[in-house]
Amino acid sequence: MTRHVSPRLAAYAGLAALLLFAGLAAGRVELVALAAPFALAAFVGAAVARDPQIEVELRIDRERVLENEQVGATVGVSSANGAARADVLLLLPDELTAVRPNPLGVRLAPGETRSLELPLRCDRWGAFSVGPVLVRARDPLGFHSWEARAGGVAGLRVYPSVETLHALLPPYETQVFVGNQVSRAKGEGIEFADVRPWTHGDRPRRINWRASARRGELWVNDQHPERNTDVVLFIDTFAEVRRGGRSTLDMAVRAATSLAHRYLGRKDRVGLVSFGGFLTWLVPASGTLQLYKIVDSLLQMDVVLSFAVKGVDVLPPRTLPPKALVIALTPLLDPRSAAALLDLRARGFDLVVVEVSPVPFVDPGKSELDALSYRLWRLSRESLRARYERAGVPVVEWLDGVPLDVPLEEVAAFRRYARPARA
Amino acid sequence: MLAFAGALAQAVAHATSVRVIVAGIGAVGLVFLALVLLRGIDELLPWAVVCLVVAYTVSLVVHGASVDERAPLVATCLLLGTELASWSLEERSAVTAEPPVRRARIVALALLAGGGLATSALVIAVAAAPTARGLVWTVAGAAAAVLAVGLAVRAAHRDA
Repeated sequence: MTRHVSPRLAAYAGLAALLLFAGLAAGRVELVALAAPFALAAFVGAAVARDPQIEVELRIDRERVLENEQVGATVGVSSANGAARADVLLLLPDELTAVRPNPLGVRLAPGETRSLELPLRCDRWGAFSVGPVLVRARDPLGFHSWEARAGGVAGLRVYPSVETLHALLPPYETQVFVGNQVSRAKGEGIEFADVRPWTHGDRPRRINWRASARRGELWVNDQHPERNTDVVLFIDTFAEVRRGGRSTLDMAVRAATSLAHRYLGRKDRVGLVSFGGFLTWLVPASGTLQLYKIVDSLLQMDVVLSFAVKGVDVLPPRTLPPKALVIALTPLLDPRSAAALLDLRARGFDLVVVEVSPVPFVDPGKSELDALSYRLWRLSRESLRARYERAGVPVVEWLDGVPLDVPLEEVAAFRRYARPARA
Repeated sequence: MLAFAGALAQAVAHATSVRVIVAGIGAVGLVFLALVLLRGIDELLPWAVVCLVVAYTVSLVVHGASVDERAPLVATCLLLGTELASWSLEERSAVTAEPPVRRARIVALALLAGGGLATSALVIAVAAAPTARGLVWTVAGAAAAVLAVGLAVRAAHRDA
């Protein structure tokens, strides 16, 4: 522990010495009497100084928690020699808020261990370090203080809250594995697709007896098989726009979490590509483990400044399987990501662009020049959007505060009427 | 503030002829203290105490040779005022203290003020005794002063 002595102690001793010398010199006992309380305070202050030998232990109830939930932190403080006052401060990142007072001043008896319960509210998702604990102990009159940094650091992962999605985007094509998505192909399944003439190899149970009786030959039913799909969440991390505690990346991460949760819940395979200064990816897979992998990867996601020119060819081929539905969550701010998305479309991927709109985060400005710049910027965005639409890519603007269901429904409506042409 | 004002009132009451000068010096000290308390300028706190000590010393000098029996009260008021002002500055931090912490500080302050008053009164009482004269007492006083200086130097050295 680092020991500090209050300047008061030296000042009291100095004043007492000065008054004593003055009293002796002037022969005035009143000056000595004036010095006496200050001298006493200085002596008492020096006498009561003892290292409190404080020990701190930090515990957290859970290592994983959902956004806006509370997690309990317990700071155990003990002192071998006791402390008249111990100020305990648990260092917290900005995204975590202590519900009870932090720092807190407590009194510690010799040998006593105090457990300070400190509920923490998790305001934002992310991977955080809680702690260490800063302790400052003082003697009864505050002449001496001892400071220490103790308790270690506890890791806490705050997962983004999942938005309720009523409908998901069905991809144009399904994969070969069994899933919950009704395939457009015909085969064996549950959903009726069509009737066709019987051929060798068709099982008798598939014969449609009514159609066969009407046509005088055997006809069989065709069904749509239930298949799974591959979904790749493509997050643009080249740039973001931030205002206060909200940002476009924040929205994209929340949306990606919700989409991954829902797609994995219906046995689809979901992959993740973070396309930005740092390139990270997860090969599509299914199951709860994949959900945890995706969310853990999303927690680490951040915008890193980079001038490197990157295209989708830097991605391993397995991250973008054929017939996969690629849902891009992008603010459309960086030309590199815009070009990469057009490249994906050119390679035949089923691409959907959800534009996480930076417009609500941008102040248009007050001057005429600012207003003109703002309008030009919005026009350039419109132009980029039109380029995507010309390429047959549905682009929907997602504004802050609007449920994710709204842009997804817009995309579904677009895809009902516009389908990619096949060469 | 009240403790300092009480000490100043005693000094002004004691000074008969130079009451304005004493009141002026003491008022400067009170202004310093007000700045400490209102603006949080803690560097001015020692100067506030020094001003009041000087005001009281001036009042003693002009009063004459008779011993002022109320010196222990003045000394205790100065110490208590300084301690309370320091506590006030400490409490302006964001730390929320539990009630037992405050109670312990109040008890400690009361004990210190009581002890200071008793010590100061003892000094006056010893000085009034007929045996409290001579070289031995002078040497004892000088030794106490040297000890106090040593303590101050040691404390300042630790602080640095």
